[in-house]
Amino acid sequence: MPSTKEIRNRIKSVKNTRQITKAMELVAASKMKKAQQNASAGQPYAALLAEVLANVSGRIDGIEHPFFEEREVKKRGILVVTTDRGLCGPLNSNLFREVLKVKDEAKFVTIGRKGVQFVSRNKLDLLADFSVPDEVPYLQVKQIVEFMIEKYEAGEIDTIEILYPRFVNTLIQEASFGKLLPISNLDEMINGLRGKDAEPYQESLDERKIKFEPDPETILASLLPLFVNREAHQAILSARASEHSARMVAMKTAKDNASSLLDALTLQFNKARQAAITQEILEIAAATSSNG
Amino acid sequence: MSLKLEIVTPSGKVYDEEIDSVVMPTTSGEVGIMPGHIPLLTEIQPGDIAVTKSGTVDHLAVSKGFAQCIGDKVSILAENAINDDDIDMAEVEAAKERAQDALKNAKEMSEEEINQLETTIQYANIQQLLKKKK
Repeated sequence: MPSTKEIRNRIKSVKNTRQITKAMELVAASKMKKAQQNASAGQPYAALLAEVLANVSGRIDGIEHPFFEEREVKKRGILVVTTDRGLCGPLNSNLFREVLKVKDEAKFVTIGRKGVQFVSRNKLDLLADFSVPDEVPYLQVKQIVEFMIEKYEAGEIDTIEILYPRFVNTLIQEASFGKLLPISNLDEMINGLRGKDAEPYQESLDERKIKFEPDPETILASLLPLFVNREAHQAILSARASEHSARMVAMKTAKDNASSLLDALTLQFNKARQAAITQEILEIAAATSSNG
Repeated sequence: MSLKLEIVTPSGKVYDEEIDSVVMPTTSGEVGIMPGHIPLLTEIQPGDIAVTKSGTVDHLAVSKGFAQCIGDKVSILAENAINDDDIDMAEVEAAKERAQDALKNAKEMSEEEINQLETTIQYANIQQLLKKKK
């Protein structure tokens, strides 16, 4: 049986661990709340973008734009959204399992340190690695997307897909693929932007024909990248919310484990102390009886 | 008859008010909109949006985006927008300096990164100009 001193030391270290994991849980919880707020702040933007897109697309038939071109997929372009730091449960490993399932030729772009480590360790084709701070500034996402669009237009990659942990709820995050390019169906995309619970789109109250300046084609051409940016931005925001909730849950489990370990250790310590006292009394009693 | 103006960015709605008229920079020149304007959809350029509201003129800085005017509602879709009262000169200056410093090392950068920085500088300039007007 370990001595009381050894047990006391262990109790101390487990207590420390519990304190740290508890603090990390609280931090993750507050960050998660923030991330969720950020994710929902983009809703008005999406709604307006959908409205503008709907107005423009109604005026054009037979859209011709590289974004709609379905070409033969030789190389997929996949953006993998991972975290910079660990201690967030199976979040990243779920993503990596999906990455390994990709059997076609693919090039990867990563966000987050874990992703770049994984991709380079597995000798996969890495195009670029970006880092995005916690609040996910739109402009940085735009930069990443523009980089990928350039590769897409140059024919280096034939799709743009995004693999990220989709936030379902605090306990569930799903590794999911989202396809950004090519766009297969404009109407579907507009509906997707508008969101499920939005009110159905009403035809404009104004019967007069909308005037476009410059022509609708030009406007659509500059609107489409915005759509891709916004989809990617939303996905990354969702990934951040997932990260923090996964970390919160992982830390809560760790804290609970530490607590039960602490209980067990305290019991063991008390037993050891009691045993030592009993032992001492026995020794004293034996000594007095032999002397007397 | 009044006009409703909303300015929406990816980080939320930054402006949503009843106004009298608005002047905004578009790719084909400045466009002024008053109530009863014909429906219009246009691309806007980084610049300064002047909003007239009960006699006073408010200025807002916007980056590239789109404006849609339908009925008595003007909606502006921009990547960035800020009200002149919220412009923090020190911060704008710092952002501009960072971007300019980065531009000096432009050799190793790709085209987009340079464009990105130039947009940042443009936006910073507009904010500064707006602030000085007051």
